[in-house]
Amino acid sequence: MSTELAVKTEQLSRVYKVEKRGARAGEREIIALDRVDLAIPTGELFGLLGPNGAGKTTLIKILTTLLASTGGRAWVAGVDVAQNPWEVRRHINMVSGGESSGYGLLTVEENLWMFSQFYGMDGRTARTRIGELLEIVGLADRAKTKIFHLSTGMRQKMNFVRGFLTSPEILFLDEPTLGLDVQTSHKLRGFIKDWVGKRAEKTVLLTTHYMHEADELCHRVAIVHNGRILACDTPGNLKKSLQREVVFRLRVTAITNPEELFQHLQGVQRFSHEDVNGHTELNFILEDENALPPILTLIQHCHGELVSLEKRDPTLEDVFISLVGRGLGERAGGVGATEGEPG
Amino acid sequence: MSKPTRWGIFWRTVMGRAYPRVIGMQRERSWLFFDTLLPLLQVSAFVFIYRAIQAPPEFTGFVVLGGAMTAYWLNVLWSMASQLYWEKETGNLELYIMAPTSLMAILLGMAIGGIVATTVRALAVITLGLLIFRIEVSIVSVPQLLGVFLLTLVALYGLGMLFSSLFLLWGRQAWHLSNLFQEPVYLVSGFYFPVRALGFVAALGASVIPITLGLDAMRQLLFPTMMAQFRFLDVGIELGVLAVLSIGFLWLARRALTYMENLSRREGRLTIRGQ
Amino acid sequence: MTRQRAVESARSLKMAAWLGWQIESNWASPFLFAIYSIVKPIAGALILVLMYTVIAQGGLQHPLFPQIFVGNAFYIYVAMVLMGVSQAVHEDREHYGMLKYVYVAPLNIYAYLLGRGVTQAIMATVAVLIMLIFGIIVLGIPMPPATIDWGMLFAAWLFGLAGLAFQGIFLGGISLITARHSFYIGDAVAGALYLLCGAVFPIDVLPRPLQLLGQALPLTYWLEALRRALLGDGAGQLLSSLSDRALLLILAGSMVLLAVLSIGFYRWAENRAREKGLIDMQTMY
Repeated sequence: MSTELAVKTEQLSRVYKVEKRGARAGEREIIALDRVDLAIPTGELFGLLGPNGAGKTTLIKILTTLLASTGGRAWVAGVDVAQNPWEVRRHINMVSGGESSGYGLLTVEENLWMFSQFYGMDGRTARTRIGELLEIVGLADRAKTKIFHLSTGMRQKMNFVRGFLTSPEILFLDEPTLGLDVQTSHKLRGFIKDWVGKRAEKTVLLTTHYMHEADELCHRVAIVHNGRILACDTPGNLKKSLQREVVFRLRVTAITNPEELFQHLQGVQRFSHEDVNGHTELNFILEDENALPPILTLIQHCHGELVSLEKRDPTLEDVFISLVGRGLGERAGGVGATEGEPG
Repeated sequence: MSKPTRWGIFWRTVMGRAYPRVIGMQRERSWLFFDTLLPLLQVSAFVFIYRAIQAPPEFTGFVVLGGAMTAYWLNVLWSMASQLYWEKETGNLELYIMAPTSLMAILLGMAIGGIVATTVRALAVITLGLLIFRIEVSIVSVPQLLGVFLLTLVALYGLGMLFSSLFLLWGRQAWHLSNLFQEPVYLVSGFYFPVRALGFVAALGASVIPITLGLDAMRQLLFPTMMAQFRFLDVGIELGVLAVLSIGFLWLARRALTYMENLSRREGRLTIRGQ
Repeated sequence: MTRQRAVESARSLKMAAWLGWQIESNWASPFLFAIYSIVKPIAGALILVLMYTVIAQGGLQHPLFPQIFVGNAFYIYVAMVLMGVSQAVHEDREHYGMLKYVYVAPLNIYAYLLGRGVTQAIMATVAVLIMLIFGIIVLGIPMPPATIDWGMLFAAWLFGLAGLAFQGIFLGGISLITARHSFYIGDAVAGALYLLCGAVFPIDVLPRPLQLLGQALPLTYWLEALRRALLGDGAGQLLSSLSDRALLLILAGSMVLLAVLSIGFYRWAENRAREKGLIDMQTMY
């Protein structure tokens, strides 16, 4: 990894003003990004991890010149995104999850060729690279298929190829495996890792809300919540920060109001819960193991039954819980907007 | 591989974006019926209106020419003006903007593809119209005729590019605006009658739509005798105005696109669907 | 089962009418909508006015002009209702990606398509009224209310409108199995019918083969019936031998025939679309 920065932001902010209707007419502000500072060196595979509405996609949109910031500055490949967006675009490409781009009547090959022309690639180079990439993602036999005949997974593979086709210096992947099956996701993740690993001059910024994806792929991960970066380090270091504590996962028969029961117990640092198949899954970050017996007693007292108990090494999800106070899958009360954009 | 130049990217983008328009025409053969025979029937209706009121035979020629040019007007309204809005809805727009190309190149590609596809339709209507109704033409000057036709298209599609930006800005209302412009332009541009019938002032106002002067000039070059009493302006003047309109609309389109893009980036509109 | 189907159909019609209204009335500016409602029909009429003014002897006093004006006015229904119904298929599939959900839901597709045409029919009615008022007040077309045959007017209007709606379903079937050009189908077919049904000139002027085609179209009799109801007289000689009663019977019968043909064709198109996977196709080029 080089010391040159592929991406840099300084106090980057994005605030949306949304009109309120009805009795409380006026404007309200949605803070999608709140003074974000980032420095991503060239050659890094950097992850942005956070739930829906955290601000990940807003950040990507600003860095890919689709959206203007309302405060702060950002540079991509050393170029200011606000002052010189055209120059930025020469260095980047983007793949989003759930994309429906392209034209249905054109074949896979034709759509990819068309997009390559927007980057000034000469025809022969484009066709060669299209063939190679389609082979890698397992879509070679569908090169001549019109895209309205493709399944979602195939379409996303095509989108992947579109992103890598121009061999960009900096590639933005915004939830690229969203909606894909396990096998395809695994294959594409392997492809991403390999691509960055073999090319020291390439940088990838990946947003995801899949913990294991960030854990598996990223050199460093930033945890994003409510438009702010709460922590930024390698996955290993982030997990190590919790090693003073003890992490337990319990599965019990359904109990009501677990917050009331466990939140204020001595020794419980952080706690989250989730309903899974009719059971309640409880994740505890405890000061030490002595905090466990009172929890078990309380479960018994509420006529709950312990189905399973597991002591775990801390994961990125635990890191997230420790920072935010809830799991990635849980909803925060009252927050509904997706990725900080006005609804 | 050396980095492509800005102009290199521009022209490749034009060709790349024109491709779906041209290839789509070949892959969906229903255009042979819907885009040629049916419009010809519509043109024929106006021919028979003139026959019912015993108009001179040259008026049949006026109508056939006007009918052929409606193809371009409709293409501009529906396949240019509102296209960027639909590109936004499908997610293509953000990919275009993110690429190191210009939206002008994208629009130009759309225009060229649209012109190719529409010219086939227009030629079919004219050819069939000339044959079926046995229209006699006396071409004054082929180069002038071609010049007028090409300038009219440049100006018209420049207007279409301008509309693209505006319609992207106006969002869903764009559909109704396209509808609003359709029939009134048939009227004020004199698609089916010499525009001079509107009176000088109204015809002058209508000249901002390139087809008005384009049609008048082409009629003068094809039916010089009849048009001597119905012409609006001299062909030379009309050519000049068309040239000015071409440059003007293309310049305005570029300004509008830049403004639209900046505004959309500030307000976050480029990627919000359904607005 | 029949009761369930009836409930389903009613629900489909109601929901589609509501949806059609939401789509059509989605104007940011009601003022612009008002302008659009007035300008569009008037522009169409003025084209005819100018054609007559430039060429016809007597200009607007030409004996044909009132007949032509009325025919042109009511022709608005043809374009809007045909388009409204047939374009619902195109719009829902291409632009909103909703057609597949319409098919997956327990909706009656025919009622749904007809419902989508209801708003267009209402808007067309407003446009026609504006045109007629314009014609009476500005152009001096004689149409005193006392001389109008209101019964015939209403019956002809109803039969014709229903017939148009079924033709829209027929075109919707064509939309289902074609791509980009399905957008123009309603418009293009309405334009073609413009030639053959005597909307803007008597079909007597047409060459004999086209006259025969015109006489086979329910639209021709519809416009003739409306002219007789409003003006006391039709256009041209070819249909003058038909009595008012005969005209209305032809309209009623053709409405039933169109219903059978259009639904039958749409069913066939649906099956074909299912075979080819076209129900959720998006071309977008």
